[in-house]
Amino acid sequence: MFRYKIYTAMAVLVLAALVLAACGGVSIPAATQGPAVTQAPAVTAVPNIATQAPAPSAAPTTDASKAFLTVNMEQQSTWVRNFNLFSPDSRLQAGNGVMYEPLMIFNKATGELVPWLATAYSWNADNTVLTFKLRQNVLWSDGQPFTAKDVIYTFDLLKAKPELLNNIGSILTDNVDGWSAPDDFTVEFKFKVIHTPALHLLANQLIVPEHIWKDIPDPATFTNENPVGTGPFTEVTKFQDQIYVVEKNPHYWQAGKPYFQGLRFPAYPGNDQANLALANGELDWAGNFVPDVEKTFVAKNPQDFHYYFLGGDGVLLYINPAVKPFDSADVRKAVSMGIDRKMVLNVAMFDYVPPLDATGLSDEFKIWKSAEAVAAGTWTNYDPKTANEMLDKAGLNKGADGIRIGPDGKPMKYALLSPNGWTDWNSACQIISQNMKDLGIEITLDTPEENSWQEQVFQGKFQWTLSWSSGGATPYEFYRGQMSKMTILPIGQNANENWGRFDDPKADQLLDEYGQTSDPAKQKDIMNQLQMIFVNDAPALPLFPGPDWYEYVTTRFTGFPTKENPYAPGPPYNTPSFAPNTLLVLTELKPK
Amino acid sequence: MKYVLRHLGLYLLAIWVSLTLNFVLPRTMPGDPVSALIGRMHGRFSPAQIEALRKAYGFTNAPLVEQYLQYLGHAVRGDFGLSISAYPVKVSAIISTALMWTVLLGVITLLLSFVLGTILGVIVAWRRGGILDSVLPSLFNFIGSFPYFFLAMLALFIFGFTLDWFPMSHAYSDLLSPGPTWEFIGSVVVHLIMPAGTVILISVGGWLIGMRSTMIAVLAEDYIIMAEAKGLPQWQVMFNYAMRNAILPNFTQFGMSIGFILGGQILTEIVFSYPGLGFYLVRAVTAHDYPLMQALFLMITVAILAANLIVDMLYVRLDPRVRTT
Repeated sequence: MFRYKIYTAMAVLVLAALVLAACGGVSIPAATQGPAVTQAPAVTAVPNIATQAPAPSAAPTTDASKAFLTVNMEQQSTWVRNFNLFSPDSRLQAGNGVMYEPLMIFNKATGELVPWLATAYSWNADNTVLTFKLRQNVLWSDGQPFTAKDVIYTFDLLKAKPELLNNIGSILTDNVDGWSAPDDFTVEFKFKVIHTPALHLLANQLIVPEHIWKDIPDPATFTNENPVGTGPFTEVTKFQDQIYVVEKNPHYWQAGKPYFQGLRFPAYPGNDQANLALANGELDWAGNFVPDVEKTFVAKNPQDFHYYFLGGDGVLLYINPAVKPFDSADVRKAVSMGIDRKMVLNVAMFDYVPPLDATGLSDEFKIWKSAEAVAAGTWTNYDPKTANEMLDKAGLNKGADGIRIGPDGKPMKYALLSPNGWTDWNSACQIISQNMKDLGIEITLDTPEENSWQEQVFQGKFQWTLSWSSGGATPYEFYRGQMSKMTILPIGQNANENWGRFDDPKADQLLDEYGQTSDPAKQKDIMNQLQMIFVNDAPALPLFPGPDWYEYVTTRFTGFPTKENPYAPGPPYNTPSFAPNTLLVLTELKPK
Repeated sequence: MKYVLRHLGLYLLAIWVSLTLNFVLPRTMPGDPVSALIGRMHGRFSPAQIEALRKAYGFTNAPLVEQYLQYLGHAVRGDFGLSISAYPVKVSAIISTALMWTVLLGVITLLLSFVLGTILGVIVAWRRGGILDSVLPSLFNFIGSFPYFFLAMLALFIFGFTLDWFPMSHAYSDLLSPGPTWEFIGSVVVHLIMPAGTVILISVGGWLIGMRSTMIAVLAEDYIIMAEAKGLPQWQVMFNYAMRNAILPNFTQFGMSIGFILGGQILTEIVFSYPGLGFYLVRAVTAHDYPLMQALFLMITVAILAANLIVDMLYVRLDPRVRTT
């Protein structure tokens, strides 16, 4: 009897092991586009929630200035108290975009660098010294004054401890020689290797107080339970497993702001639950993927329920140029012309965003776009007839079964990768593989588990794959990640970008020149040329921008960025490419 | 006593095997925690940072045997270190926030469905061929064959969203602070109704049918006829004579199920945003959070083994025949 039961127990263990091995089966669909950190805009079926009248709100609002804004920044089943903004993955989002502030905020919606803890920046004549003038009379939330010492300390800390999460690691070691404070309210960065795009990254770094952090033995394992910051909301007044509350900073430097008492963060484990709460009017501000948003959300209260989704960093089809005949730009362009992007957008993205043009830049970079390059990039238009002609011309003739024969004499059959559970990408891939039939190319969809997908792509061991692209304050990061030898790693090593290991020497030279100049006119000119090179080379095939998800409810608060007045990006979460834009919104919101 | 000791030895062996599997299995998954993290952050790390992160997470290139011994030592002391997906929070801190809710939900659903299913099974078997007997087993079989996820979503949509009878998420109202007040306890109960109710609905059929079939077999025994012939009251025959013997298989099953409480409620917790361990289990696996994964899987296996041990011990008391095997 007992033996039988031990066997059963072992069987259970093995079962657990199977679950573990085949974890694709139980895994919650993970983050796909946009918010890469903890958001999960997963496309799972939500019950149709369009049939119900708006329910009364659960949030308490009595006196307007005592109002609390209910926000969904990230998805977790229970909160674990960690406000360490340098924790790689698990810090609560409130820790960065609410409690701490940077020198300047790059406002992605307007393209401006908004003065924040610093009032101005300047480059010297040969771009070797970058100077920030700091704001005076800023206090930390414990009443201590903020000075240049805190800024110097923060950058010292990041250089000494590379395991602390930041975006500027390689700049601090490779480009910057040192930083100093000539007086209490000035900070200078001296460059040994000139790199002007460093401005945005240095300016965007969140600053921590020296007087607190210098006594922390190991900042990497510090959970920072009672944060001291300069941000508008710093006081954690309630922390429970399923909700926490952060109230306003008693010493905030913007007089009279914030206009309301605090923020409430209820925990939801996934999109479905957060979306139900949103449709129920329980949330004021959210950044979730909502399927069929007009019907499932807006229709429930058209007066107060709003959204707009702007295109963010691009999602591209990467065809490995090491796989012949895709070393030829013309063949890649032909493939691109065979893709019906309208259909892809409709099926995979609910038409939330327009397709990308051949420059690969979404609307977030509209001030940079070269009309000439866009006009020259005809290869993102759907035109299977021309595509077939181009493939014929490249000598890829069709075999008896209608499949073209590649240069190696074998039929053109390739695997298209997309991570398991990223349903929006997977359905985009299905459309692409159907489209490719018309070109005589056979594409099989392969959806490995996320980690194994990543391994194949990052190490350059793939044929075709869908993937994201690098974002930044300017298109510099995007083009560097697509066609520069700076981002090329040997096959078999994990590369964060440039997975096809593509390089154009002309682009390298332009990127280099761009990094040397701080003259906007010259930068614009270089960027125009880079766009033209991308359009000519087609190193990867732009499909659609990953939307920045943003929903807001005006029942209790006003002052959100709107489609008509997009003064700042809408999403309540922060990602490396737009941290910490939430500050711009939180200081404008007013209770009704 | 000898019986008990021999069993203990076997259980210790089982625990050691599970500890070892627990160490080996996560490491056979493709990828590692740092590359999983890079994926979630969409790149943006310099090689120096990646190296530093690996170090901070405690990844060494030490021989596996050394790592294994170190792991065993820590496991015996119950120290699972810092979680990776929630770095730098301690694994024990994460588990302690979620364990209580998982246990509460699991114990309540298991007890209710066991008691309800067993009693219904007894009644149905006693009046076999009656209306209840023709309706209940097939009805619960029908409900039980629904995919749980679907049933739970349906309940959430109808009773939570459309009718607004029950709260749609969490274990208690966000506006309350946990404490021994009636208001808080009431809130916990109301929040339990949907998650527990759906699980009970799905699982009660199993208990019922198991109980019904053993009851029918027991009812055919001579001593039941004897008891009836003696003119004992019906309820006494039903419960004291028949059920007491028929319950043994269900009881074994109950013991086994106790062990499954810790790992068996992932879907319930996810659908109803219930702050339990299930979500962490899934996240630990996707994020390659070895320390958290190991702690959770170990807790589950130890719970199952412990439940078995207890059932074994109780069996010795309940059924004298076992002692001689």
